[in-house]
Amino acid sequence: MAEIQQGGGGNDGGKKRAKKQSTRVDMTPLVDLAFLLLTFFVLTSTFSKPKVLRMIFPEKLDKNDPLVKQPEVKNGLTIILTANNRIFHYSGGLKNETQIEETDYTKNGLRKVLIERNRPLIEELKLLQEEMSKIPEGDTAKKNAVERKVKEATNKSNLVILVKHDKDATYENIIDVMDEFLITQVAKYFIVEEDLAPLEKKKIDEKLKS
Amino acid sequence: MPKIKMPRSTPALDMTPMVDLAFLLVTFFMLTSSFRAPEPVILDPPSSTTELQIPKQVFLIMIDEEGRTFVDITNNAVKAKVVKQMLNQFKAPGMTEEDMKKFAGVGPVGLSVREFQGFVDMEAGERNGYTQKGVPYDTAASKLKNSELYYWAYFTKIEAHNDYKQREEEAKLRNMEFDKSNYIQVAVKAASNAKYNTVQHVIQVLREARIKEFQMITGLESAPE
Repeated sequence: MAEIQQGGGGNDGGKKRAKKQSTRVDMTPLVDLAFLLLTFFVLTSTFSKPKVLRMIFPEKLDKNDPLVKQPEVKNGLTIILTANNRIFHYSGGLKNETQIEETDYTKNGLRKVLIERNRPLIEELKLLQEEMSKIPEGDTAKKNAVERKVKEATNKSNLVILVKHDKDATYENIIDVMDEFLITQVAKYFIVEEDLAPLEKKKIDEKLKS
Repeated sequence: MPKIKMPRSTPALDMTPMVDLAFLLVTFFMLTSSFRAPEPVILDPPSSTTELQIPKQVFLIMIDEEGRTFVDITNNAVKAKVVKQMLNQFKAPGMTEEDMKKFAGVGPVGLSVREFQGFVDMEAGERNGYTQKGVPYDTAASKLKNSELYYWAYFTKIEAHNDYKQREEEAKLRNMEFDKSNYIQVAVKAASNAKYNTVQHVIQVLREARIKEFQMITGLESAPE
């Protein structure tokens, strides 16, 4: 098809043949159209569906209800999100002498803190995952048993994280923190709706000024 | 000396395989693409490493950085029913069934009930230029349950449940397997730089309507090792 037509040179003594009529159709407009459509669909189509981060909020509880118990927190960590993507954290309950530390959203910041605090659970889950991978395909009873263990381990985890934020924290900050929890497999965390406590506010303001 | 004549040739190229390929791709994109509904605001959601897919059917709430909210229900039949309930609840002048269906098809809206009819009457181009103020909501604790946003959530929850039951029964009648994944879930798409306080206010309103689970729409980010 892409051949080179020969002729023209030499071969003078040959018979004259009737010229064969080409049956070729010019396809250029067709190609133009096809590519136009192609470009249109490539540009307008939404390919990847967006991903979602699931957030589950507890039922609203009445604080005056005697049946509502305040959870006992042994290994507590409080994270405070503030303006300009700054992030602070402290352990346990807040007292006058508590040191509030600053960190950031990078891999060596918040993630390191979380991995350190959540080490027991991370290691336990790792072991269980290895166990899971050894189970032969189709052995659902064993698989369920391991899954139950995973659930038990996450329920037993004593690390409880409170996420507090002031009025300047952005939505992106919250999603970033939740994402870090997902990565470091933190089992228990709460996003606190109330404003910062006065002492917290005072300490954070001092930090922000310095 | 005889001149060397270069053979004349037409550089004809066989384009058939190329055309084949081009049309194959066109067909592929035509069949796989779903068109994006025109959105009244362009939001840039934050990214996360989660791999959860967005549910097939959602009650979408969009929040922009100024705190305006826009709502949409991906199931147009359910949306039309919710619109009807909304009009009743706020005693707005009724709309014809046809207008309600049309309204359900225009994508996310951030309008007060009283603007519905006017919005349907507009031409498509006019609609794009119309500044929507957002679905009204009130953050005062005593008024959480009075706002239009609350009723959007409330009626959607009821209609979503009805729709689910209805389809379940239909599937039973026809002896077909019932696709449970079509249940309408609540998805929130908020701008990265929106204040979390604003998002929290919206979530508080929705929680009043006994919605507990939210799918926060995020962009994709590569997972860490």
